[in-house]
Amino acid sequence: MFSVTLKNQIFKSMCAFSAVSVLLIVLGMLITLVVESFPALRHFGFLNFLTTADWNYSKEIFGALRPLTGTVISSIIALIAAVPVAVGTAIFLTELCPDKLRRPIGTAVELLAAIPSIIYGMWGLLVFAPFMEKYVEPVVSASLGNLPIIGNFFQANTQGGVGLLTASLVLAIMIIPFIASISRDAFNQVPDMLKESAYGLGATRWETLYQVVIPYSRNAMAGGIIIAMGRALGETMAVAYVIGNRHAPLDSIFSPYSTITSVMANEFNEAANLQMSSLFALALILFLANFLAIIAANRFLPAKK
Amino acid sequence: MAEQKSPPEDILNVNNLSFYYGKNLALNQVTLPIRKNRITSLIGPSGCGKTTLLRCFNRMHDLYPNNRYEGEILMNSHNILEKNVDIIALRSSLGMVFQKPTPFPMSVFDNIAYGLKLKNIRNQNTLKEKVEKALRQAALWDEVKDRLKENATGLSGGQQQRLSIARTLAVEPMVMLFDECTSALDPISTQKIEDLIVDLKEEMTIVAVTHNMQQAARISDYTALMYIGKLVEYDETDNIFTRPKNKMTEEYVSGRFG
Ligand SMILES: Nc1ncnc2c1ncn2[C@@H]1O[C@H](COP(=O)(O)OP(=O)(O)O)[C@@H](O)[C@H]1O
Ligand SMILES: [Mg+2]
Repeated sequence: MFSVTLKNQIFKSMCAFSAVSVLLIVLGMLITLVVESFPALRHFGFLNFLTTADWNYSKEIFGALRPLTGTVISSIIALIAAVPVAVGTAIFLTELCPDKLRRPIGTAVELLAAIPSIIYGMWGLLVFAPFMEKYVEPVVSASLGNLPIIGNFFQANTQGGVGLLTASLVLAIMIIPFIASISRDAFNQVPDMLKESAYGLGATRWETLYQVVIPYSRNAMAGGIIIAMGRALGETMAVAYVIGNRHAPLDSIFSPYSTITSVMANEFNEAANLQMSSLFALALILFLANFLAIIAANRFLPAKK
Repeated sequence: MAEQKSPPEDILNVNNLSFYYGKNLALNQVTLPIRKNRITSLIGPSGCGKTTLLRCFNRMHDLYPNNRYEGEILMNSHNILEKNVDIIALRSSLGMVFQKPTPFPMSVFDNIAYGLKLKNIRNQNTLKEKVEKALRQAALWDEVKDRLKENATGLSGGQQQRLSIARTLAVEPMVMLFDECTSALDPISTQKIEDLIVDLKEEMTIVAVTHNMQQAARISDYTALMYIGKLVEYDETDNIFTRPKNKMTEEYVSGRFG
């Protein structure tokens, strides 16, 4: 028979072992990324690698600039499109929705978040991209496309709707449920007494919402948005299907472009030597970007106890 | 309390008021007056309906579905429980202070100015004047006059509660509703708030829920004892504590139940 203290001891060491092994796995990954990307980073130089636009197999010149801008721009567009819709959804769920519908709609939002991203990718390619090409691109290029200077940037392309904006919007749709459920949880945590204080002073529902509930939830929402951005930065399958993975200057928001993840997903199988090492260098950059996003999110999210 | 021989006029009259949370009867045929410029205490054991009654006065129950009032609360001979009453206006003439401080996530100044801005008072000088007046009334001005731009959540608990009071006073309500507003505070903060409540009755009417009988005895002019949703006895505070008419009141104020 084990004594109670011995049992506790064993349990404690097992927990400690699990915790440490998680740390070791992360460290191991980081080490792999650094070691594998070393040849490329030594060959090009880290800064040079970051600022080189070329990705050229025959000349053996690889730079992160385009995939990196593709990743950043698509994530930013995704956030800009997703945040208003998501916050609106959260407001609807907490303040407007009839009680009976609250649970079904809430569950639907959570289900949406659980759909594997490759399904978003397939849907994006087969349904959304043709829709963009047929309905959105003509309208936008006929209007914004005529503006001086920036007009070119809104010209349609003829690639079946595949491109940077399409990828960004598919990303947006993917992260909406995520931001919506975090915002909803944040709104639900606002103490009733605080809301009632506003009502008690003669505030309407909307005044209470905009002036008390949303400011009170600001930090939790900001944390959620940063985590969502981390997801958008690292999202692979949904983007790889619809961005077109083209190594060329970005001439229009509708043009095919690349992101870090789309380059990796498309080229990893056939790459070798310097190209392979450059892919690892891209991975390292993404890893660091995500790491920063998580640190930033933790600054905002209330400490969990 | 010397010259209160002839009872002052009533500002509110609760007549046969019953209240239901869904099917749950929480107030049962309550009838009592609220006298103008006086302090009325609501006392009684936990769960007897004090908060429920207080929240009828400013229709706070309307925020939640399935709540139902029966009977009437008359104010200037109008029943404020009627459907077509302007609840926004009602709430700004009956201010409420809660058990715990509820500073809004904004500066001290903006907290106090909040209710004024809801009433579309935008003139900076008017706002400044009214904010200062409210903070002085709540005995908080000296402590925060140099911190008006700081976030209100940085104040101490007692200061936050006086801030909540000042914020309510700023809109110049006719009646102040206090719900155990000192229950989360230390004795010194409690003392300050009791003092300011007593000062306030010069200008307005006060209804204060408390489960602290000494507090009711110290500050109030009239006291109502409730038990399981019913009014047991309502009288001048002196009578309730020294010559109660009801046996249950006598037992309650002498601490034998509750
Ligand atoms: N939101 C609510 N829904 C249902 N029942 C409630 C609610 N709030 C209070 N009650 C019930 O109403 C009764 C009176 O409660 P309350 O007015 O809070 O008592 P007190 O303030 O005197 O302690 C209690 O039985 C309580 O359980
Ligand atoms: Mg109560």
